[in-house]
Amino acid sequence: MRVSKTDMILIALLLVPVVTAVLAAISRRRPAMEAVNLAGFALTFLLALALGAAVLGSGPVSLWDGFLYADALSALVILLTAFVAVLCSVYAVGYLRDDERSGALGDDAAITKLRKYYTLTPLFVFSMLLVCLANNLGVMWAAIEATTLASVFLVTFYGKITSLEAAWKYAIIGGVGLSMALFGTIIAYYSAHQLAGSDALSGLNWSVLAGRAASLDKTTMRLAFILVLLGYGTKAGLAPMHTWKPDAYSEAPVPSAAILSSATLNCALYGLVRFYILTSRCLGAQFPGQLLLLFGIASMGISVPFILVQGNFRRLLAYHTIDHAGIMTTALGIGGLMGPLGLMLHMTFHTVAKSLLFLCAGNVHQHFKTDLFRNIKGGVMRVMPLTGVVFLMAMLAIIGMPPFSLFQSEFVIVRAAFDGGHSLAGVLFILFGTGVFAGALLHVGSLVLGSSNEPQVGPRPWRDASLLVSAALLVTIGFWIPSPLLHLIRGAAKVITGV
Amino acid sequence: MPQDPQFGDKLVTLMAALVLVLQIAMAGQRWIVTNIRIFAVQSFLLAAIAAVIAGFNHAPHIFIAAGLTLIVKAILVPIWLERLVERFQIRREIRPIVNAPLSILICGGLTLVGYVVAESFHRPEEGFNPAALGHNILAVAISLFLIGFFTIINRRKALAQVLALLSLENGLFLAAISLTYGMPLIVEIGVLFDVLVAVMVLGILVYRIRESFESMDVSRLRRLRG
Repeated sequence: MRVSKTDMILIALLLVPVVTAVLAAISRRRPAMEAVNLAGFALTFLLALALGAAVLGSGPVSLWDGFLYADALSALVILLTAFVAVLCSVYAVGYLRDDERSGALGDDAAITKLRKYYTLTPLFVFSMLLVCLANNLGVMWAAIEATTLASVFLVTFYGKITSLEAAWKYAIIGGVGLSMALFGTIIAYYSAHQLAGSDALSGLNWSVLAGRAASLDKTTMRLAFILVLLGYGTKAGLAPMHTWKPDAYSEAPVPSAAILSSATLNCALYGLVRFYILTSRCLGAQFPGQLLLLFGIASMGISVPFILVQGNFRRLLAYHTIDHAGIMTTALGIGGLMGPLGLMLHMTFHTVAKSLLFLCAGNVHQHFKTDLFRNIKGGVMRVMPLTGVVFLMAMLAIIGMPPFSLFQSEFVIVRAAFDGGHSLAGVLFILFGTGVFAGALLHVGSLVLGSSNEPQVGPRPWRDASLLVSAALLVTIGFWIPSPLLHLIRGAAKVITGV
Repeated sequence: MPQDPQFGDKLVTLMAALVLVLQIAMAGQRWIVTNIRIFAVQSFLLAAIAAVIAGFNHAPHIFIAAGLTLIVKAILVPIWLERLVERFQIRREIRPIVNAPLSILICGGLTLVGYVVAESFHRPEEGFNPAALGHNILAVAISLFLIGFFTIINRRKALAQVLALLSLENGLFLAAISLTYGMPLIVEIGVLFDVLVAVMVLGILVYRIRESFESMDVSRLRRLRG
């Protein structure tokens, strides 16, 4: 049997993170773990680029009788995951060394904790890649569950009482939510069960189900979608199942929080999108669309008061993620031709901006040893010029200020809402967007601007490099998206709309 | 084994009813050790149902699922949980929010909901065939799921919540077996594996929470707010 180049890419994408984890687990010293992680994630990122190129060149690729399957949608989410992973692996080197120096890891067990981080993170990334590559919806579900399991111990990393509380909430709410998603998956399988040839292993393959979605059983598919929406919605942090999110994000080490808030959110939405495609082809876009709009708008609405009164900047970012999960769900619910395009654009922009924001918040947190606005009293720009500038810029980007990229995607979504006759959703979208805008600007302005008596912090190569690269990217994609990336985004939207 | 579908149907229905009764008993039970044992018996019955369905439908791969359920859920997990209880010297762990009689009443209502939802799946026009074995199972599965959900909310203690989550997952297994006669095998293995790892994660968390709080009362986890 000849193994083609694309087959190699698919296998390597799953193999590289696992090998990285194993090597990190057997490393004895910190520099070895750092090097293994950096090399592993750099390779993963290159492979993700190669996969994107392959999918653009020759359409969907699959392997092992369709067990692994990647189209433009998977390739885009994989690319974003790999980008965040490599960015955070560079940042983590500086961040964790600082933690070790300041004694935040404890005195004697620092190396054990570092090994835990550098082993769990590749496994975490592996499970996210598997979510996007698995064609079988059951395997996809198991992979999403695995992301929770791998990241629970990252949330407990510092071993504080509050991190245990956060991890407990995360595990139990995530566990219950995902059990609903499994129920939905089982029922979706049932709705295809009567069709011929569905008993085989491929009976639960997305590519098979999508081809015959119109002949799926309608009543059961309706129930399946509701359960899956509740399940993956919990994982994505849609209101009212969002309560674990601010806790987990503010207790996890910052690089893990950055991955959780961007890449893991994408994976949960990815699962939801796969089911949306099946459901909308089976029942029409009306039924799933309205449910998605309901949850999306509710998530945006619920995040507004919490953002306005928030006193803790990492929790503030978490509520922003809830807001953006709502925006993306709303975009999917609006549907039509423009809604999915807005979703994919927004997912790309949000991933870059949100991970960058968490990295900035990490710098501030580590220097001032607090997460509270009132303990810092402004002046971050004076003490840490680069962090301050990038923080402010990324914040302006995430609340949708032109000329940054998120303005464009939100504009596309609002326009799609009014064009598609969802005027109420469009009005609420703008209303909640304004609330978030005001709240975030107020908080971050007071944090970053102003004067401070503290001495200025010198350059820190690992963290400054990751901040600069990501910030440059954020500014660039606001004006110019490289055409292969744009094609990939369009291709991903086309997978959803089907035309 | 006699190959009479009527007999198989009755056998499966009887066991499913027992599973449901055990689930309700668990929701009203106050003693954690009894709770774990009820869970073990429930899992054993579940494995038996899977084996009967496998036998009547000539689907050998369901036997593997049955065997896995027996080993993991009826034996390994209960032993491990009991050991956890012993190590912490826990006697009467569960202090539910809603008292036992009211809990059982709510469980009854949830069972009713389960039957109503399951009705939409019932297709009498397809007639009776071996594949339609025990159509009551789906109703039981949905009830199990709902009662498990209620029990999680109703419990304050970490270990008791884990047990409720596991019994909720029993409902899922029953649904998978009855609706699809075993999803493609790889999925079952994945699901069981996940259950096992989830129990381990939760177990370690329980242990750590115990260490730092001197109690496993999750209602005292109230520091993170807003």
